[in-house]
Amino acid sequence: MDTSNKRLIQRLMSRIPIKMLRTTLGKWGRLTEVQLKSMNLTQSKWALTEKLIAICEENELEVKHLTELEMIYIIDNPNQGMWHTFQLMDPEDDAQSVELTQFKEQFKSHIRELVRQVSVKMKKHTDEAVWIRIAWGDAFSRPNHLKPTYVVHHLQTPYVFVTSLTAKQKPLLSQALVLSTRHQAIKDANLSGRKLTAIRDLMMRQYQQVFPTKYPSPLTEHNPTVSNPHIGREQAEPAANRLQMACEAFGGGMLPQLQSAVYKLETKFRDQTNKTMTEREEPFKCVVKFASTNLLESLRNCASSGIASTPVTPLLSSIPLKGRNYFVITDNGPGPSSKTDQPQN
Amino acid sequence: MERHQNSVTRTPLNSVVVQRRSKSKSYRLSYRSCLGATSRLCFTPALTARRLNTSRRAPKSHNITEKVNPEKLALLVKTEWQLSYVSPLYQFRHTQLKSYSRQLSAFIAAEKQQGLAVEVEGPQKTFRVSFSLVQGMAESDDDAETVLIQIHSKPLFARQDEPQRPVWSGWLTCINGNPDYLRSLPKDFICLPLFGSSGAEALTTLVKSWFQQFFDCCFGPLEISHTCLQWLMALWTNCHTESSIQHLKMIWTLPVVPPLQVTYTVNSEDAWELWSSVRKEKEKENKAGEMAKDEEENSIDIEEVTGFMQGLKSHFYRHFRLDLSAGSLDQVSTALGSAKYKGRIKISNSRYMITTLTLLTECALLKMPI
Repeated sequence: MDTSNKRLIQRLMSRIPIKMLRTTLGKWGRLTEVQLKSMNLTQSKWALTEKLIAICEENELEVKHLTELEMIYIIDNPNQGMWHTFQLMDPEDDAQSVELTQFKEQFKSHIRELVRQVSVKMKKHTDEAVWIRIAWGDAFSRPNHLKPTYVVHHLQTPYVFVTSLTAKQKPLLSQALVLSTRHQAIKDANLSGRKLTAIRDLMMRQYQQVFPTKYPSPLTEHNPTVSNPHIGREQAEPAANRLQMACEAFGGGMLPQLQSAVYKLETKFRDQTNKTMTEREEPFKCVVKFASTNLLESLRNCASSGIASTPVTPLLSSIPLKGRNYFVITDNGPGPSSKTDQPQN
Repeated sequence: MERHQNSVTRTPLNSVVVQRRSKSKSYRLSYRSCLGATSRLCFTPALTARRLNTSRRAPKSHNITEKVNPEKLALLVKTEWQLSYVSPLYQFRHTQLKSYSRQLSAFIAAEKQQGLAVEVEGPQKTFRVSFSLVQGMAESDDDAETVLIQIHSKPLFARQDEPQRPVWSGWLTCINGNPDYLRSLPKDFICLPLFGSSGAEALTTLVKSWFQQFFDCCFGPLEISHTCLQWLMALWTNCHTESSIQHLKMIWTLPVVPPLQVTYTVNSEDAWELWSSVRKEKEKENKAGEMAKDEEENSIDIEEVTGFMQGLKSHFYRHFRLDLSAGSLDQVSTALGSAKYKGRIKISNSRYMITTLTLLTECALLKMPI
């Protein structure tokens, strides 16, 4: 087996944790029962890697088989690396009727036209998502399988999720996607995160949403902590209102696990107590980054506990509403598509 | 008071002799009472609160490279130090540094033999300690000279001829310490209240226990309080015209579930404009006051500092309707340095080192047990 294939196996083995090894290899289906049993999972990673290399040599497996293994692992464990969201714009008349086979053929042919040496693998996952693995080469070198790009596209939606894409590769991928999905353009949707499932759920609103109700909230606090009954009684209604508004803004129940949101503020400084700054023409430039293991959960908690005043400001509620986590805020209001609404005064 | 003007190593002599009449009564001034008495630096009238000076001189960049050995200076800047406070050291002599080096080396070796030292990379290591003076940093006559401690060792599997490298560094300093307090200390006590360390925790513990045994002192963790962090923010921003801060970054943590971290980074020019606008407003208020103009320019009040912070918070609130006061400020950083609440400081630019250390010395002195 040549060194590049060996390196690929080594790379794969370092990514796949031992406890996932058996299931992943099983799904792959390229090892016989005997070979699978011979992989002793109590050995060190290094020893297992050597064993796998030997088995692959025995079975005369090639690159295309090895990349299958990687794809299987990534599809089952997509919440790694950094995923970025793109949105397809301006569909042509026949965009809705693009179905799987057509998309696959078109994408492969377009990308091969754009990039001489490229290796593309496409797979439809059970939940309507099409997974694409692209190993890029160029005029002088063969496809580099150690740094593949993964793309996930849900047909019939304009959303595309991408990981490990360089700036040089971006226009090529964009072109191929636009042509094969019958749209006219693709833009950055300003939503990124480590967990694909989270950003996908956020983008496609697949989480429990709460709508405004006129009547007393049907939602109950999960952990009511009332030390003093008087305070409890007094605070009951405001607390319920805050909770209702917090859930309206961010959703009820389990929320998609977004890790961060970045706001680039370029608005003027306005404060009654400081005349000098208020009269200033230039904007007060700053960048605010919110980070948490579950950002939406934290923000919802801020609103329900009163740390954030309710009703929740559109800047924060835009995260789930618009499905994005990168914003540039200016005083001028909605401008080109990358900017968002005015701040409240 | 007599002072030795020309000695190279200076151990400040206190000619004030203090007599301990009984165990319960001590005539030595406690730090608290020093704050209450009229002190040159302090404007606080009240005796009740133990707090930082509410007003301090604006930092001027010190051409510290002229006064201090640049090699020693290079060891102090650009490293992140963990801070502790130390109570006054009994019979610490700046002239005995060589002897201390030997004693501490022996102490470390002995502790390792006993197996008390937690694993510090292998049994074969020999540690060589060096104590040295960092002269030129002391600002006032009452300040003791800064002492730098380094522990060198050979890395595991090093060749014979490979030189030892410093694996741990620490320093003890006192910059612009409150003169009333320093002069009130009994004879034989040296006050170097600020201790910084960088390196393996095990070695830090060993060094501290050696000091505790030999100089009858005690160490404690020094947190950089919220007020102190605000002061650093303001003092660093104030230096922007002389050397650019590049950005003003604050990291807050909000107590929600799961905890939310907010990183608020302000463009340097805008931070500077906000700061100077706050100072101008204060200046207008003081116009009727008695302070001379240059004294006014030179001194910064706590109100200006809190005004600055308030401006930043209100700009944030206007957009996010989130009150940062509900959270805690964990870290402040600019190109001149960074400070963390849990007591970590990094000075990136030696020109403002004296100012930063003055503030931290004050924090350390506030923590003195008596």
